Amino acid sequence: MSDQLEQPPAAIAGLGLTDVGKVYDRSATDLAAEAVRLAANDAGLAVSDLDGLLVSPGTQGAPKLSLQKVLGLRDLRLLAEINALGASPGVMIAHAAATIAMGGASAVACVFADTPLKPKGSGRDAFGTPRSGPRGFAGYHAGIGLVSPNLFYALAARRHFATYGTTSEQLGAIAVAQRAWAADNPAAQFREPISLAQHQESPLIADPLHLYDICLVSNGAAAVIVTSAERARDLAQPPVDILGWAQAHPGRVQHDDSDFGLRTGAADAGPRALRMAGVRVEDVDLLQLYDCYTYTVMVTLEDYGFCPKGEGGKFVAEGHLAPGGDLPCNTGGGQLSAFYLTGFTPLVEAVVQGRGQAGARQVDQRDVIMVSGNGGILEHHATLILSGAGR
Amino acid sequence: MTETPDAWPAIQRDTKSAPFFDAAARDELVIKRCTGCGQALPPEALVCTTCAGTALDWIPAEGSGTLLTWTTVHRAPNRAYTDLVPYTVGIVELSEGPWLYARVDTARPSPDLPLRAEFVHPGDGESYPVFTAAE
Repeated sequence: MSDQLEQPPAAIAGLGLTDVGKVYDRSATDLAAEAVRLAANDAGLAVSDLDGLLVSPGTQGAPKLSLQKVLGLRDLRLLAEINALGASPGVMIAHAAATIAMGGASAVACVFADTPLKPKGSGRDAFGTPRSGPRGFAGYHAGIGLVSPNLFYALAARRHFATYGTTSEQLGAIAVAQRAWAADNPAAQFREPISLAQHQESPLIADPLHLYDICLVSNGAAAVIVTSAERARDLAQPPVDILGWAQAHPGRVQHDDSDFGLRTGAADAGPRALRMAGVRVEDVDLLQLYDCYTYTVMVTLEDYGFCPKGEGGKFVAEGHLAPGGDLPCNTGGGQLSAFYLTGFTPLVEAVVQGRGQAGARQVDQRDVIMVSGNGGILEHHATLILSGAGR
Repeated sequence: MTETPDAWPAIQRDTKSAPFFDAAARDELVIKRCTGCGQALPPEALVCTTCAGTALDWIPAEGSGTLLTWTTVHRAPNRAYTDLVPYTVGIVELSEGPWLYARVDTARPSPDLPLRAEFVHPGDGESYPVFTAAE
C-alpha cells in the first residue's frame, strides 16, 4: 500500500437499494426517494443530515432536481442533476468526493432511479424506437433498421471478432461466470446456473450477440452516501474508501482512423484512476465492470490492462473472473444476471463486497476494487478505485 | 407511414439531410468534406472530428467501399421490424474514408468485403443506398 492510500479524501458510508426488477407501481422519483432514505439510514444518518444531493435521471427523465423537495431537504450546499449515461455514478461520486475534500459539503447522496419496464411490456419495447420516428439521418437509421443499442454493440463486438479472432464462446464464458456468481446473490433476478452450451443455444439477437450476452432491463433505484473518510469511520457501516477516479469521453469518430469496437475510453480513464489511487493494475483485487453486454466486460479488461489488447477473449475464457478465479469480476451477477441500474449495478456490488457483507459470495481480498461505468455506445467512461481496507 | 408487411419504414427528410436524399434519388452518393482541413466526413456530420471546423461542404463519393463490421439482426428491435428479420446492417468504410451505416445485402458478409452502393427508391419515403458485394 502506498502513502496515498492512508488518507483518502472521501468514502462511501451508506448504501440504499430498493426492490429491483418488475417493480411496476412506483415512479422513478418515488423509488429514488426511498433509495436515499435507505442509504442515509444504512449510514446511521438522518435524511436531514444530508447537505448534498446529486441526482442521475433515468430513461424516463426522472428523478430530477425536485427530488430535494420530495425528500424535504433544506439548505443543501450541493445539488445537481448529473447525466453521463452509464458513467454517471463515477462522475457523481468523483464530484461528491472532490467537493467534500475541499470543504464544500459533508454528506452527499448520489442517486439513480429508472422505470423503463412497463407491465406486459418486454425489455425491447422499453428501449426500442417506435415506428413513427425521427426525420433526417435519424430517420435513415430507423429506415435501415439500426435502432437498438443491441445492434450498435453487435457492430462493436463484430469488429473486435474480425480484428482479433475473438469468439462468441469466449464471450459466453463471461455470461456463465456471472450467472455462477448470481446464484449467491439474493437480489439477483436470474440465479439458475447456465452452461456455455446454453449460452450458445440462446437465441441470436443481433449476430454475434446471443440473448445471454445482453443485460436485463429493470425498474428500481440505488443510492450511496459519500462523506469524508474520517467521518465515515464514526458511522454505522464499514467505510468503503474512494481512492481514485477518472473519466474519458473519446467522442465518436466516424471515419477510417476510428478505434470503435477495438478500444474504449477505459484505456484512458483506467490508468489515470489507478495513478490517482497510487496503485497498479496488478494490485487490483476485485473488479466490478459495466456489463451491458459480455463484450463490454471483455474490451474493458483489455483497455484497463488486465491482458494485452486483442487477447481479452482468450483471457476471459481462462476462468479468471468466475467464482474461485484469481480476478473475481461482477460478483453479484452484474447487469447480465442480477439487475440493471446502469452504473449503479457494479457500484452497489463494489460497496457490498468492500464492506465484507456479500455473504456466500464474499471474496477474501478487497483492498483495491476497480469499478467501471460506460455510457452510450462506448462514448462515456468513468472509473472508480475503491477500497475495503479501511474496515 | 405505411404499415404494409415486408416494407421498410419510410424515411422522411429534413433540411440537413435533403442533399443526401436528393443525390440518392439520382443513384448518387454524397458525403461531407471539411473545407478547413479537407477531412472527408460521413453525410450526417455537422462538425469535423479532425479539426472541429463547422464549414462543411457536400462532395460526390464513388459509392464503393469495404465492409468494416456488420450485424445480422435476428430478433426484431421492435414491432416495426417483425416482418423484416433477418436483415444485415453494417458500417461501410467508403473509399474516401468516412464510415456510413447502411443496409448490407449480401449472403456472406466478411471483413473487408468490397462493396458497391445500389439505390432503392421506395414508393413511400426517400431513396437511400443499400450495399452489395462488388463484382
